Amino acid sequence: MLASAQVETTLLVLKLAFLVLLYLFIWRIVRSAARDLRLPQESMILAPQQAAAAGLLAQPAGRELGRLVVLDSPAVDGGTVYTLDAHALTMGRGSNNDVPLPTDEYASTRHARFEPRRDGIWIEDIGSTNGTFVNGIRLTRERKLAPGDVVRIGETDLRFEP
Amino acid sequence: MGARALSLSYRNRELVYLAVVGVLTGIGFASVYIARQSEVSWGSLGYAIFFFALYVAAHLVARYTVPQADPYLLPMAGLLAAVGVTEIYRLGASDAFKQGLWIVIGVALFALALLRLRRDYRVLEQLKYVFGVSAIVLLFLPRVPGLGTTVNGARLWVHVGSFQFQPGEFSKIFLIVFLAGYLREKREALAQARPKDVGPLLVIWGACMLVLASSNDLGSGLLYFGIFLAMLYVATGRLSFVVVGMVLFVVGGGVAYEKISHVHERVTIWLHPWTTDKVFCPQTGGPALRQDCQSYQLVKSLYSIANGGFGGAGLGKGTFTTTDGRQLIPFVNSDFIYSALAQELGLVGAAALLLVFMLFVARGMKVALQADDGFSKLLAAGLTFGFALQTFIIVGGVLRIIPLTGITLPFVSYGGSSVVANFLLLAGLLLVSNRANSSS
Repeated sequence: MLASAQVETTLLVLKLAFLVLLYLFIWRIVRSAARDLRLPQESMILAPQQAAAAGLLAQPAGRELGRLVVLDSPAVDGGTVYTLDAHALTMGRGSNNDVPLPTDEYASTRHARFEPRRDGIWIEDIGSTNGTFVNGIRLTRERKLAPGDVVRIGETDLRFEP
Repeated sequence: MGARALSLSYRNRELVYLAVVGVLTGIGFASVYIARQSEVSWGSLGYAIFFFALYVAAHLVARYTVPQADPYLLPMAGLLAAVGVTEIYRLGASDAFKQGLWIVIGVALFALALLRLRRDYRVLEQLKYVFGVSAIVLLFLPRVPGLGTTVNGARLWVHVGSFQFQPGEFSKIFLIVFLAGYLREKREALAQARPKDVGPLLVIWGACMLVLASSNDLGSGLLYFGIFLAMLYVATGRLSFVVVGMVLFVVGGGVAYEKISHVHERVTIWLHPWTTDKVFCPQTGGPALRQDCQSYQLVKSLYSIANGGFGGAGLGKGTFTTTDGRQLIPFVNSDFIYSALAQELGLVGAAALLLVFMLFVARGMKVALQADDGFSKLLAAGLTFGFALQTFIIVGGVLRIIPLTGITLPFVSYGGSSVVANFLLLAGLLLVSNRANSSS
């Protein structure tokens, strides 16, 4: 086959241009990715305890991020205060919860979970039978708590205060 | 990070990178075209302009729907798809036309997914069981008499009229959505490994494995197994699950090697592709050297990669046909596209392609890290891991690092279902990324 010198030269130039541009493209993206790596990263799905242990949470574990005041409950005295820190807090009838509600008949064994995040305290129903309510509205997904929100777990009412 | 880097918004940066991809496509096509015609011309420029226009359309939809999403994912996917279609064009113009059409459909569905789910894609979480069951149904479809067809010993295709597709590619994405929803809900219970919670997971996963094993689709089997383990690990953080899974895999693989002739054959081809004496050849029924029979495809692909050397033959100048015009490597544009690219782009170019794959994975994992809620994290991690593992399985197979199992190279290989499914995967990652970046 007769391949002219012009064709060969053009192909060589194109090949070099292709490779150079391809590597330029890659280099630019690597550079931006490397920049991201230097920023502090949040963990994947680590338990907050693990994350705190690894020093990934901004707040020290002991700092208070909010509190829950018991308004009315068959299980604990009204006015009892639970402080929320960098650890997640679970509530339910079972004794292995952070806050057990042993005599609340309407609470499930593992009922709800309060989780500290960058932007505040979030509440999540963890498979309760009767549901978790915030200001009377049943939770269908996790939700961020606002100051003054009233949370109902079984027959226990708690007010969230920052 | 200087002010200059911040001055471009995410979407503007995306557009700049897409322009680079457009130029790369132009150079690639021109090179193939000039090598084919043996004269310098700009006749192929139309193709590059067409692809650039298509990507700009995708970009505009992204600008409207996911303004805060990662700016590099779309250009990288676009680059891979463009390199793929360039090489497919070089191997055969008619297939490239079809592939181009599939990319158009893929981009259209990508846009549709972004538009439908732009407000809150987490509605998918409520539909997790629908996705789980659909994943199994899709895997079963090729086995329905009258619908399915067998290609190369694996029953993976569905024919409806003249339209055909491989449901397994979509099944993979559905399974990831199901796993993300299910694991998000049950991860705390799963970490304690209670049978009640592990049950449904094992049922869906077991069903997938059974269908895949019975249809001889080993590559997908490996892929599903890996995705399942990885997502379980991300959800629970328990390394013991991964260890148990790996042990099960080794035991299962050992049993399959002993009992299933198809698996045994694959391993033999992998370990001993060349023989000096003639061995039994199942295809012809007579004796032949293994490199002329069972491992013909793999060996020819290795020669193809070796022929590329360091700098490659150049796009359009590789050797893929014998002197009498027969194709050297069967299925070179789907399963073996990597060896075709490695020959024409050389070690330098093939390494660059793998780097693009790695960067895509790195960006995907970053999206998972940034996401706020469990479902989004799991979804992004699952989609990214699936993409990474699929790339490893096929490239590893072609390079003889692991036994070869037929599966497509994401975005690059010829195959409509694969291209469309991967654009949907991209849409998923952009949606998660957009949400993560807008909330913080």
